[in-house]
Amino acid sequence: MRIVAVDPDACVACRNCEYACAFRQTGDFDRTRSHIRVNYHPAERACVPLTCMHCAEAWCMEVCPAGAISRNAETGAVEIDKDHCAGCKMCLLACPFGNIGFDSTHGVSRKCDLCGGDPRCVGSCTSGALEYVEENDAFAFKRDALDAKLRQALRLDRGRR
Amino acid sequence: MPRHVAIVGNGAAAISALETFRAHDRESRVTVVSGEPCAAYSRVLLPYFLRRKVPYAHLFIRDAAFYRDLDVDLLLGSTVERVDVGARRLELANGGTIPFDRLLLAPGSSPVRPPIPGLEGPEVHHLWRIDEAGHLDRLFREGARALVIGAGFVSLQAAWAARQRGLAVTVIELAERILPTVLDEEGAHILQASILASGVDLHTNTRTEGLARDEQGVLRVSAEGLPHFAADVVIVGTGVRPNDHLLADHVETARRGIAVDDTMQTAVEGVYAAGDVARGPIVGGGPRAIHALWPTAVEQGKIAGANLAGARVAYTGSLSMNVTEMFGVTVASLGRFAAEEGDTVYRMDTLPGIRYLKVVLREGVPVGAIALGGPEAARALGYVRPYVRRRAPVADVEAVMAGTHVARGVTRAWAGTRPGPVNEPIRERDLCA
Amino acid sequence: MSTERDVQQTLCRMCDDRCGIDVHLEDGRMVDIVGNKAHVWNKGRLCVKARAAIDMAYHPDRLLAPLKRTADGWQEIPLAQALDEIAARLTQIKERDGARSVSVWKGEAIGFGQQEDIARRFIHAFGSPNYLSNDSMCYAARYFGYKLVDGAWPVADLENARVIVMWGANPPHAHPNMTQYITAARRKGAKLVVVDPRLSAIARRADVHAQPHPGTDGALAWGLMRELIRTGGYDREFVERHTVGFPELSAYAATFTPEMVEQETGVPAATVIELAALMAESAPRVSMYVGNGLEHHENGVNNIRAVVSLDALVGAVDREGGNRFVQPAPLRTLTLYDDVPLEHLGPLGADRFPVLYDLRQECHTMTAMGAILEGDPYPLRAMVLTGANPLLTNPNTERVRQAFESLDLLVVRELFMTETASLAHYVLPAASFLERSELHTHAKHQAVTLTRRVCDFPDVQDEYQFWHDLAHRLDMGAYFPWDDETALNRWLLEPSGLTLEELEAHPEGVTYSPLAPPPLERGPFMTSSGKVEFASRYLKDLGYDELPVYKSPEYRGTPDDEYPFVLMTGARKLLYLHSRFRNIPRFRTAVPGPEVEMHPDDARALGVAEGDTVTVTSRIGNVTIPVHVVSPEEIRPGELQITHGWSEANVNLLTHDDRFDPISGFPLMKSVEVRVTKVGAGE
Repeated sequence: MRIVAVDPDACVACRNCEYACAFRQTGDFDRTRSHIRVNYHPAERACVPLTCMHCAEAWCMEVCPAGAISRNAETGAVEIDKDHCAGCKMCLLACPFGNIGFDSTHGVSRKCDLCGGDPRCVGSCTSGALEYVEENDAFAFKRDALDAKLRQALRLDRGRR
Repeated sequence: MPRHVAIVGNGAAAISALETFRAHDRESRVTVVSGEPCAAYSRVLLPYFLRRKVPYAHLFIRDAAFYRDLDVDLLLGSTVERVDVGARRLELANGGTIPFDRLLLAPGSSPVRPPIPGLEGPEVHHLWRIDEAGHLDRLFREGARALVIGAGFVSLQAAWAARQRGLAVTVIELAERILPTVLDEEGAHILQASILASGVDLHTNTRTEGLARDEQGVLRVSAEGLPHFAADVVIVGTGVRPNDHLLADHVETARRGIAVDDTMQTAVEGVYAAGDVARGPIVGGGPRAIHALWPTAVEQGKIAGANLAGARVAYTGSLSMNVTEMFGVTVASLGRFAAEEGDTVYRMDTLPGIRYLKVVLREGVPVGAIALGGPEAARALGYVRPYVRRRAPVADVEAVMAGTHVARGVTRAWAGTRPGPVNEPIRERDLCA
Repeated sequence: MSTERDVQQTLCRMCDDRCGIDVHLEDGRMVDIVGNKAHVWNKGRLCVKARAAIDMAYHPDRLLAPLKRTADGWQEIPLAQALDEIAARLTQIKERDGARSVSVWKGEAIGFGQQEDIARRFIHAFGSPNYLSNDSMCYAARYFGYKLVDGAWPVADLENARVIVMWGANPPHAHPNMTQYITAARRKGAKLVVVDPRLSAIARRADVHAQPHPGTDGALAWGLMRELIRTGGYDREFVERHTVGFPELSAYAATFTPEMVEQETGVPAATVIELAALMAESAPRVSMYVGNGLEHHENGVNNIRAVVSLDALVGAVDREGGNRFVQPAPLRTLTLYDDVPLEHLGPLGADRFPVLYDLRQECHTMTAMGAILEGDPYPLRAMVLTGANPLLTNPNTERVRQAFESLDLLVVRELFMTETASLAHYVLPAASFLERSELHTHAKHQAVTLTRRVCDFPDVQDEYQFWHDLAHRLDMGAYFPWDDETALNRWLLEPSGLTLEELEAHPEGVTYSPLAPPPLERGPFMTSSGKVEFASRYLKDLGYDELPVYKSPEYRGTPDDEYPFVLMTGARKLLYLHSRFRNIPRFRTAVPGPEVEMHPDDARALGVAEGDTVTVTSRIGNVTIPVHVVSPEEIRPGELQITHGWSEANVNLLTHDDRFDPISGFPLMKSVEVRVTKVGAGE
């Protein structure tokens, strides 16, 4: 199963992902309607993309009293069936990351569905902070980065060039 | 060695136990016995059905294929008369018996009917079973007059449904205020204003003295301090009581539920209980309690299902949590939100979309919270819930309630370089029980 | 009925990044655009402008018929009639005032390379040297900076760098997919340095963000050179063997002590020392990229030359992880400079800014305004303008308006009725990039691609067809012998040995010459001396300083009570490119209008809050605009930023068309002295 891996160390909060997601949901660029959110804190220069991790033990799915949340067998995405959602908001309360939103117009919860296996957030991430990868490879870039840092440190120890 | 497991009940706890059990054990024989004649449905959704948010067909959350796929014998409409612990079998009202090696009791609870004279007839219903919801649906005619007795979580949702369906609604509550188990006084006050603004005639601190039919056959209500009025439909919502009689011969219940340990096992070896009937451990310790709530039933069912299958899984305790939208307000609460001596109370009224937010901390650990407002209220409590559950201290409550702690936690954990106020990043496996 | 689905692979040209795209069509109508995962440049990633190309192409306001201005307003006329009438007017004006009274203006929206050269070919065939374009205020100054020092503009080898330095460039908004190359380098351990007066998007990821005052980058570059020389951290061998002017450079650099640099630029002395050390220890894998931010200043070219000189000091010229000279694509060129000598006709601005014409054959658009309005140095009476909107993008809008209103003939080719088009005598509907087929070179990858027509509108001509049809009406048909753009493309491609069919089969790009490792032995460089030139004999001969001498921006002098703020303009924003895309509704949802970015201290002092309206006034004019109070880290107190391209608050009403960089002729647009008053508080 593949997930959207996020690397805050690469994110520049350009908002491409939020616009792309909002557009898929609504046909417009209202960022508040995006399922992926990028928090930007200027003082710390921190840019953090947050999106559903499609948890292996998805608490939102387990507590849904309407049985409206299920895992897509093909993509592994935890999806909300809008027709069955009662709008009780139990899933909003269940998610510790705030990754479930509420569509007040239709009175139903809304969340990432991985766009059916081709997530638009990733396709529009020009910094490379988002990758759609196998779960096991999700943090390969972290290993690579650490590896590179260590190598650089060693090289500098040995002197220049 | 294949065994025979019996499950009494077909609600949230029973289904969750069944699914978990089958994830561990595909061999043993499983029989599910339910007193209700229909497929499993979601009690939580009944008010949503009444306000036409959910169609009748969507109340059912599992179909026949579900039981077939899990290879389960399903006996619907079969009332269990007694549990013969010695003989390890269930005795059914129809004379049949079901043997078991291990048993899960998840029969839920039943509404209490208060001793009010004349509280009977085709207009009078609880909102508890699916057939009652069906009756109420037929009685919800525009312009009809509804009396709701009790101002609890379910009855107020019923009142809102009635109001949305165009009924004239009177709510009478014996206690001083609405929703004592779900909201504090201030929260109740805010919601009460919305209830009144919706046109519901709400009377707290009021006794319903009796109902009687007039010469036209219409029910007339007399209540303390109010002029008599007519009611075409009466919804009784004055609490529920656990269906704990099945084990009453073997353990002391005092009608307060069946005590279970942290594996959901009762005092009787091999007999487990979960859901509204189970008096189990709660988050933060203290005396065992019943949290007659859907999420608790799901959690306990998971624990019971695993232990029925022989896995040793311990429950860290249930956490009271409520959320719904009524009268245009999202109402959410969590844990122990009534402050006690020595607690710190955090109030934040500036978060977008939230009208009232309160977090109670004990020695830096959040133990409960309340939020009212838009959908953001539910989301805010979602952020703090893992801390309440894990009894983890929170350094920056505001960051948690605004959700920015997630970003900062992730940043610190992954980038490893940025300073700033952070909380421990939360890992997925810490979240659920 | 079944729907016919199709995917056409081509390039996006919503900006000049030119990313590979898959255009999805249903029954011939575009329905979606996603990234081409195989494309050499963007590797499947795409900014959100790309998908909006569909909205642009099918926009209800799209011009689809030729319009003629009449006493009763716009009148639709047949295309052939429009071309006939335009040709007749051009001929009349040529006969009356000479060929040089006619000009062509090519805008950014049309692109560069092939499309630019067709326009150049046309006007030169017509006999006028007056080719005008956006390049006389964008790009060319950087080209000069590199050309004068290194002999060519190399590409930054970002992915292999140990240190990346972004000077006045913000790729996430300006060249979105360049960001992924920076990320790739950082994941391999590269440090990122961003030099920008604002905490830009890319600065959020910087290991070091140096925040100089606008226009003072040159002082910082000199300070770094001084440190590198003082500490011996420069590449002595490269400097000795491959450069000229080091002694002069070294002597001039001596005054730029870290303390002096701090005072001039606001960048702490310790940061100057730290940066120099970082560059020294990472050399030669120091990859610097200069953005448009350095161009629009009084000392723009020399500031850029100073930065480029740093490359040579650390030996990063044509080195892996530094910058690389690339092979140009072996395509035919369309320009006629050798066939039709026109320099004797006095190209506009060539006398004042000889470098601009000599190295780029660009005329000077600001000089053109004087030619139109005052006949100085000679009258300019007609203009054929394609894909440009100078009424929003050139400095001193009021003067541009007056000039364009007084032309005898203004022909505008456009997708929409822009501010500039509304002044035209004829407005011709133009093809978007989705409606034409052209060759593109991706220099960094030494690859070439062919774009496809994925939709069509009757009477909407592609660029080539327009110039071709007009040329044939003007007796210049011999210069435009190809029947259509496909025939032209085939001719252009011929010397490369590649075929159109090959390019069609490989929309991800075809390498025309594999990227070889940099030569061990460097040089000769394509300068007059054959070496990297710290000091330029060429400039000296033209009367300029031979060294990239630093001049403090005028606003840094005596405090000006009348105009106490310094205004930067033109910071790039993701959703808009210059004056384009303001009519895409969902872009408006995201970014509804213009704003002036302001430090919270300044906002407090002015008594304004987020969203309040202020009037910003320069010596040239004023605009009224809402305030965006940014975080204190994002801009310095006393400094402001307004992005151009908004008709609601057109910042070019404030910018100077009479203060230029003396070498490039670029106008002063990023350090404009202004005052700010709260609206309602009285001027």
